[in-house]
Amino acid sequence: MSHLRYSLTSAGEPAVFPPDALKKIDAILALYPTKQAALLPVLWVAQETWGWISREAAEEVARILELSPAHVDGVLTFYTMYHLRPVGRHVLQICTSISCHIGGAGKLLDHCRKRLGIGLEETTPDGKFTLLEVECIAGCDRAPSMQVNDAYHEPMDVAKLDALLDRLSREA
Amino acid sequence: MSSAPPPPKDTFTVLFDGRPIEVPKGLNLIQAAERAGIEIPHFCYHPSLSVVGQCRMCLVEIEGIPKIQAACTVPLKDGLAVKTTTEKVRQSRAATMEFLLINHPLDCPICDQAGECKLQDNSFGYGDQHSEYDERKRQYPGFDRTEIGPHVIADMTRCIQCTRCIRFCEEIAETGELTFLDRSGRTLVWTHDGKPLANDWSACAADVCPVGALTVKEFRFRKRVWYLDKTRSVCPGCNIGCNISIESKDFTVYRFLPRLNPDINDYWLCDYGRFLSEGLNLHEVEKAATKEDGKVASPIVPLAIQRLAAEIKKTIAGVGPKGLFFLGSATLTNEENFLLRKLADHLGCPNRDVVVDKSRVRRMKSKKGWVEGDHAAANYRGARDMGLSPGAGGFGLSDVLSGAAKPEVIVVADGAFSAAADDAEKVAILRRARVLAVASRTANALTRAADVLLPAASLAEKDGTFTNVQGRVQAFWRAFLPRPPIRPHFELLLLLACELGLGERVWTPEDVRGLIRAEVPSWASVTEESLRGGPLLKKGDFLLRDA
Amino acid sequence: MEPVLTARVGKRDSRSIETYLADGGYAALRKAVTTMTPEQVTEEVKKSGLRGRGGAGFPCGMKWGYIPKDTGGKPIYLLCNADESEPGTFKDRLLMEEDPHQVIEGVAVSAYAIKCQLAYIYIRGEFWDGARILDAAIAEAKAKGFLGKNVMGSGREIEIVVHRGAGAYICGEETGLIESLEGKRGQPRIKPPFPAVYGVFGCPTIVNNVETLACVVHIVNRGAEWFSKIGRNEKNTGPKLYCLSGHVNRPGVYEAPMGLPLKELIFGDAYGQGMKGGKKVKAVIPGGASAAMLTAADIEDCPLDFDGVAAKGSMLGSAAIVVMNEDTDIVDAATNLAKFFAHESCGQCTPCREGVPWLYKVLLRINAGEGREEDIDLLLRISNQMANGMTICVFADAAIAPVLSSIGKFRDEFVARVRAGRAPAAAGVSA
Repeated sequence: MSHLRYSLTSAGEPAVFPPDALKKIDAILALYPTKQAALLPVLWVAQETWGWISREAAEEVARILELSPAHVDGVLTFYTMYHLRPVGRHVLQICTSISCHIGGAGKLLDHCRKRLGIGLEETTPDGKFTLLEVECIAGCDRAPSMQVNDAYHEPMDVAKLDALLDRLSREA
Repeated sequence: MSSAPPPPKDTFTVLFDGRPIEVPKGLNLIQAAERAGIEIPHFCYHPSLSVVGQCRMCLVEIEGIPKIQAACTVPLKDGLAVKTTTEKVRQSRAATMEFLLINHPLDCPICDQAGECKLQDNSFGYGDQHSEYDERKRQYPGFDRTEIGPHVIADMTRCIQCTRCIRFCEEIAETGELTFLDRSGRTLVWTHDGKPLANDWSACAADVCPVGALTVKEFRFRKRVWYLDKTRSVCPGCNIGCNISIESKDFTVYRFLPRLNPDINDYWLCDYGRFLSEGLNLHEVEKAATKEDGKVASPIVPLAIQRLAAEIKKTIAGVGPKGLFFLGSATLTNEENFLLRKLADHLGCPNRDVVVDKSRVRRMKSKKGWVEGDHAAANYRGARDMGLSPGAGGFGLSDVLSGAAKPEVIVVADGAFSAAADDAEKVAILRRARVLAVASRTANALTRAADVLLPAASLAEKDGTFTNVQGRVQAFWRAFLPRPPIRPHFELLLLLACELGLGERVWTPEDVRGLIRAEVPSWASVTEESLRGGPLLKKGDFLLRDA
Repeated sequence: MEPVLTARVGKRDSRSIETYLADGGYAALRKAVTTMTPEQVTEEVKKSGLRGRGGAGFPCGMKWGYIPKDTGGKPIYLLCNADESEPGTFKDRLLMEEDPHQVIEGVAVSAYAIKCQLAYIYIRGEFWDGARILDAAIAEAKAKGFLGKNVMGSGREIEIVVHRGAGAYICGEETGLIESLEGKRGQPRIKPPFPAVYGVFGCPTIVNNVETLACVVHIVNRGAEWFSKIGRNEKNTGPKLYCLSGHVNRPGVYEAPMGLPLKELIFGDAYGQGMKGGKKVKAVIPGGASAAMLTAADIEDCPLDFDGVAAKGSMLGSAAIVVMNEDTDIVDAATNLAKFFAHESCGQCTPCREGVPWLYKVLLRINAGEGREEDIDLLLRISNQMANGMTICVFADAAIAPVLSSIGKFRDEFVARVRAGRAPAAAGVSA
């Protein structure tokens, strides 16, 4: 989280939503009285579609919602869950807020760093893992808590983490 | 004496530090305080932008509210009691100043904003002398000293995140190029993907910047602002007639700044108009020139005018006044155009005209909405009002160019009257006259063809009025004297008129305005006061500082 | 106390509408829309004494009462604040994941009470499961005719839409949440105007926490009087969910009457069952990261309710109780908390944008053994010039609470760290 969120990255090609994503976007637009209100959900659709949000994707979202690309950038960079660069297949999100911190989150983070050989917000060369430090994810009673992509893994310790990384590494 | 009935109350009574002041409804508390002679320091507040209340500089105490309040966010109401001088207020403002300065570079000596920087001013007025900040100052590698648009240089190390520029682009220009990126202490103002900040008013984003984060490329490092003299003027760029101040020193125009006029340009100025400033320093016709029998001479101006007057008299004596043609100009003032028309009348000549080139539609955001202009010069409407169209039985420029009319003497009041003046074919037609007389500042095909060429002053070097697209008559003033022998068109025309028996040498544009008022119905309500237009502004500021 | 809000937690298939109905679910909604006027529901909530469970403890019925009688044709919105992000808090996650229909019924009944036809549940982006579970539950409720154009045949329309956030603590602040829902950066708004008058999309808006809305179900079912009799006194009523974490034997969400003694929560058999390894308590955060730390002495007589914790100079907040044992490094803990706030400030107000990261930088330095004694007073000075109206929202007030309280109560540890001139062996806060 020490990294600045100042610039978007080009995907090198235009972002064109596939038909099912466009259907989702249409459904989302029907839920709000303004197009702008659909921005966060539509950005989620973009992230589901491409795994991250490129400059081109941001521009396409701006076009669809009739917003300035700058406004979309402002929103994208404000919220930490939108990936502004491609991420690994498994995004490891280790909570380091107070309960997890005093529950040993630092050790987990250090272990991940060492084992995967990457720093925060970095992705392993094989594209399997991205390591993130996150703020409280409401798993305090099962500290230290972490999420891998959209699933909780808690409480976590170094041995369980190793087992988890082993399993995920074996997956295709 | 009967006492007048009490007018309906359209004011609030607000207590400023115990002193009741009547303030008009609809004002922001910061503006209301200013009316009361109380300065409430601020950064993010701007009267023509939405209120965001986020710089936290304008802190005041409000009776009945325990917490300190941002004045810009406090709704005015009757009986509101505002305290601006308490120790709590002083400490709170000093705190904000300290926070603003911990990450601000100490590069004032080389900062172009120095002298018109609100951070400097508010530090001076409200800051404490010391800070205990002992950490590394924030840096923005890649976002410092960067051309963020054709006219604006951004240096985010100096930014205080007031968002005025963002709001300008969203709310006034309606183009939304700028945004906040990231958050917390990392918050940065930038464009999408480094795309240029390139709307038609982009330099206004730098105008509203209270610090040196956004500066105008063309003006950077050209002059320390405290050396500049400010003169009320009107933009010559089109018929919108934006109020400007000419900022000059030592016979040189350095920049235009907008001057507040809510009916026309509010606090704004378009880039096209703004950057005409440099062109005013151009003097391509520096002395009078006459051609006779193929010989070119450079007489003093009065002699050149005498020569022209003699030619006019000769024509009148020959074919009569119908052999003359007077062409006014939308680039010239009402007074100049009026004088020209009066001269034509005086000589009994109905052959007079004024033309204007169309430009692309330019738009300006007044307080009430967009104002549009599409003339390439400021005063076509005024020139028409002065009667510069063909009189009964007279002809105009199109008749001359078509060959239907063949005047012997043509007087072109300004060589820059239209693009036609640089059109060789058209100039060749005008050249058919026995005598072609032109007053001009810039050179073109027409001035090169002239038999009598008179060196004319720039907008910065003369007084006068323009009438804008809305019909408003607006005055501008001389910033500095032209270098001799260059003279304002007004003086050149007056010299000619006097030679031909009209007027007096001591007439000023103001005297001529008296004549216009007596003759032109649309001028009935024009007074010397109504001509003044808006007050002067400081870059990054909006307070009504009259110079 | 018989659990009320968590009665169904842990039951088999607790997420399904069938089990919810079998347990008497949707009776409150039926009662409200078929036998009560919206005003009657509001009156009942007012009488119950229900105070907002999100952190501020503002009386819920009073908040609802601020909606203008005449909205000028504008719709009224109810926003369920499910952005639970206060470090130490995990009760709303439990309610949504384990008993989603209770939440949905709470939203529906409250929407009826304030005459709202379209309610949004703003759920933090990290609650992937929570959002999926709520979506599924809403679909079930719609299929039964409990939501939609004609709720239970009453002719009333109530729709509920789940809206996911995307990672920003400040969106838990109600006007930050509103801005976020409008598709903007979640920067809190200037108040007034208050959301009840000018909220989301410029319309009258009520923002209520998940737990608050869940309480409404039971108030309608069992009556205001029943609710108001639970709790320590008439100003602190109802059942309450306490989030217990840290160095206790049995962390978790515990439901108890408002005003449960803090000591009992930590040591009681029904609750935390004491400190792990028999260690002593050093410090307790009683209401999430924004609440001032308490000392071991403070816990002796601290009822966990709005006024009880306030009397100790802290706040109940989101009832997130983080217990730290005698081995906890307070300087390190304070640094961790400062880091959270330095990361989460929205960045619009000067004192917060500049001050919170400044606090963190100084703490980071002290924690690393590079501090000076005068830095300790500097932290206090910076903190004191950030709060009490210096900013638009109370984020800055929250951010300084752990700094002021940790120094105020454990100054010796800061001094010792500075004098030792080196980092503790176990310092774990990363830069």
